Amino acid sequence: MAAFADLDLRASSDLKALRGMVETAAHLGYSVVAINHVVDFKEKKQEIEKPVVVSELFTTLPIVQVACTHLDVDLVCVTVTEKLPFYFKRPPVNVAIDRGLGFELVYSPAIKDSTIRRYTISNALNLMQICKGKNIIISSAAERPLEIRGPYDVANLGLLFGLSESDAKAAVSINCRAALLHGETRRTAFGIISTVKKPRPSEGDDDSLPACKKAKCEG
Amino acid sequence: MATLRGLLETPRHLLVCEKSNFGHGKSRHRQLVETHYHNYKVSFLIPECGLLSKELKNLVMEMGPYYFVKNLPLHELITPEFINTFVKKGSCYALTYNTNIDEDNAVALLPNGKLILSLDKDTYEETGLQGRPSQYSGRRIMKFIISIDLMDLSFNLDSKKYERICWCLKEKKPLKFDFLLAWHQTGAEESTMMEYFSKYQIQERQPKVAMSTLRSLQCPVLQSSTLRGEPEASCGGPELFDWLGAVFCDVDLNNEPNSFISTYCCPQPSTVVAKAFLCTVTGFILPEKIHVLLEQLCHYFDEPKLAPWVTLSVQGFADSPVSWRENEHGFWKGGEHLYNFVIFNNLDYWLQMAVGANDDCPP
Repeated sequence: MAAFADLDLRASSDLKALRGMVETAAHLGYSVVAINHVVDFKEKKQEIEKPVVVSELFTTLPIVQVACTHLDVDLVCVTVTEKLPFYFKRPPVNVAIDRGLGFELVYSPAIKDSTIRRYTISNALNLMQICKGKNIIISSAAERPLEIRGPYDVANLGLLFGLSESDAKAAVSINCRAALLHGETRRTAFGIISTVKKPRPSEGDDDSLPACKKAKCEG
Repeated sequence: MATLRGLLETPRHLLVCEKSNFGHGKSRHRQLVETHYHNYKVSFLIPECGLLSKELKNLVMEMGPYYFVKNLPLHELITPEFINTFVKKGSCYALTYNTNIDEDNAVALLPNGKLILSLDKDTYEETGLQGRPSQYSGRRIMKFIISIDLMDLSFNLDSKKYERICWCLKEKKPLKFDFLLAWHQTGAEESTMMEYFSKYQIQERQPKVAMSTLRSLQCPVLQSSTLRGEPEASCGGPELFDWLGAVFCDVDLNNEPNSFISTYCCPQPSTVVAKAFLCTVTGFILPEKIHVLLEQLCHYFDEPKLAPWVTLSVQGFADSPVSWRENEHGFWKGGEHLYNFVIFNNLDYWLQMAVGANDDCPP
């Protein structure tokens, strides 16, 4: 089994609050967290650092189809704050799963409001019918430490969303690891070769080695 | 609809109950106690007893030291010196500390010389040793179990197999863990763990003992011959098991209407005992010491006593890679593996073994 991960902690401008959230997550048992910067598409001037895992939040069907098939993303967030105006179609979802995309469900809006809770569960059940529980990730979109729940509790929440027991536990551990690895492979060629900048050896070492051996070391 | 039905199910758990007598030739009690290697908590409950006898008290206080080592490299456990000093001369037990069996890598050393490594996929592939996938893997295999037989290795130290294992654990992927160690030596004392691991930060620890006397405790009525219980006459094994858990958790047994925490009720028929003695020992406890304690509890009934029965419960570490013998143990939503003896005054006993979801049936 992989380590437990929460791939959606909302970044706030206050660094101390963010640190508190990360500490709470660690205390609850998470080994990996990802901090999300929410970018509004209308404002193009925002500068954010290049994230490893890119997730996009979608509300209309054509964008979802395009995201599943073409866009260079790792996770598709399913919006929970309102009833989805469309039904997921099986073909684009299957293409997404084959490409290694994950579907992300968030649960902290459900903690705050009971109407949103209904929408969360209905949207989640809707998604489950189509994708059969594969490549699902559950994360909190927590803005405060109180909105984070422990990994085993989140796995139990997955049961409410229609996942089987093993899929629910995988949604908090294995699928998160898969999404992170997917993000890393987007930076490499076919997921196998990557380049790492090698620190320059000191001048003394260069002189002592004969020329042919030097070539082999740097190969 | 399928979701709703699924929500009503609880994760799989097993409780095996059997009864026998200590005097019986084929009684398996000794074997079961000694093959449950990693014991975290030992508790016994004696009804109608206010004070512990001197022998029992001495036994409880001497449940042996255990040792805690930080950042011990794994290759130290496969050196010939370690094998000859500790593994061959007695029973040596080791378990990694603060590693969750379902998240991280865990290592256990069993007294028969087997070193069990429970590794996640990345570490397994980096280490390069041969193992098998975990039984509780599901669709995607994320956990692998490697079993190294140290006794077998120690006979041919020049073999390629031993060299490869040394190379993998020393150079290819050196792994370091915090270990809990315990050693039951047979034979003359030649060296101790404190001296052997003195260059790592080894600490000797004593198990924690907690004793309490419970007043006016409702106890179920049991008859040793009827394990299932008879309605209106005695309670069955599973009911006793639940009741014992409630007692250990200090839960009210009255089903009071204003109790928010528990609505548990003592199984009927029950009696009220004026006082009962509960003792709990926590630490890394050797099975040999538990066996001695079990025998001493049997001797409790050498003189006539008011108590009809006593219980001894042993819980295993939730993060141990094995439960009994080499049965693989996993952590699903809970990692319990425990056993409970109910010893009657005629030396009959009931034995209950319980495991959680990712476990084999107990032997």
